[in-house]
Amino acid sequence: MGGNPIQFDYTVPATVLSFLLLVYLLSKYAWKPLMKMMEERRTNIESMLTQAENERQQAETIKREYQEEMRKARQEAQEVIAKATKVSEVRASEILAAAHEESEKIKKSALVDIERERDRAITEVKAQVADLSVLVAEKIIRQKLDMTTQGKLIDQFIQEVGEMQ
Amino acid sequence: MIKEVHETVLWHLGSMTFHGKTLVMTWISMAAVMVFVLLGVRNLTSGKPGKMQNVLEWIVDFVRGIINDNMDYEKGRPLLSYLVTLFMFVFFSNMLGLIPNFTFGLLHDVHFAQLGHIFATPGMMSPTADINTTMSLALLTIFLVLYLGIKAKGLHYFHHFVEPFKVFAIIHLIDLLAKPMTLAFRLFGNIFAGEILLGVILMLPGIWVLPGILPTTIWLAFSIFVGAIQSYVFVVLTTAYVSQAVSESH
Repeated sequence: MGGNPIQFDYTVPATVLSFLLLVYLLSKYAWKPLMKMMEERRTNIESMLTQAENERQQAETIKREYQEEMRKARQEAQEVIAKATKVSEVRASEILAAAHEESEKIKKSALVDIERERDRAITEVKAQVADLSVLVAEKIIRQKLDMTTQGKLIDQFIQEVGEMQ
Repeated sequence: MIKEVHETVLWHLGSMTFHGKTLVMTWISMAAVMVFVLLGVRNLTSGKPGKMQNVLEWIVDFVRGIINDNMDYEKGRPLLSYLVTLFMFVFFSNMLGLIPNFTFGLLHDVHFAQLGHIFATPGMMSPTADINTTMSLALLTIFLVLYLGIKAKGLHYFHHFVEPFKVFAIIHLIDLLAKPMTLAFRLFGNIFAGEILLGVILMLPGIWVLPGILPTTIWLAFSIFVGAIQSYVFVVLTTAYVSQAVSESH
């Protein structure tokens, strides 16, 4: 014993054995599983990061596809509208042309009618004028026909008849 | 004086003697480390770790950092378990001397393994306050250096003893012996001195007990600091010695 704290004895091998046992136990039951877990977590996080990156890329692709489709749809809609406009224009001009034709036809037939009516009117007027003139002539004749004139007329008539033969 | 605050209890087994108090304290430290670590690995998960697991992972990462700073990590990987255990054991040992003796004299009359004697002091004792413990750890370190050196380079490892000239073998031999000596005595000196001073403060007589609280507190805080630093230094030096032995630059 004594006051000197620096004395070596069999405590050294005892401590060495104890410590090695501690190292063995802790390695087996604590550090190995712990490090395995840490490694596992590392790989987990790594794979999650990769996965996230993949998903991000997928999302990017899908987004691009959607944008493309959207663009296409818009284009198609515009095409449809343009086509519809064109069709309607054509249709309108067709309708217009048909209307024109119709009106032209109506106008023509109206003109024909007018012509015919006018002709009839003229004929009627002519007939009436003839009747009237005969009447007028009769009246005048009745008033003014004296004997001499009658004789002349008869002569003339006879002459005319003779000429015809 | 030293004998008063630092009594050695001897166990006799045949012709062999053991420092009983040191060994008991060593085993208490080991049990504490075991409990602490096993609590941490109880519910191991690779997902979100619990508090204790987090602490352990922090310690492992810390030691891994030390290895990384000193050598190629792949070469040092087998060392990791040993070094983490070493770090925790030395730290817990250093702390053990700062804990008061909570047996309240219950073991006073226990004669088995002189436990009554062992737990007679007002505080516990750091196993690292005994040169036997620190020397054991230092010897393990140096065996590790030799073993890993030979494992890494084969018999070529011994070649560096005779470089650059054969005469240098003497210096290399002294170097090889000095390494465990410095390791052991540095740790022992720091912790032993801390405990002696703590014991001395606790022996303050009568009226000085109350004013003694302040220096005790300060010294305890400082001892915690020293204990942490010394455990760190021990692990760093072990790593450095091993990295010297396994590196290619000789």
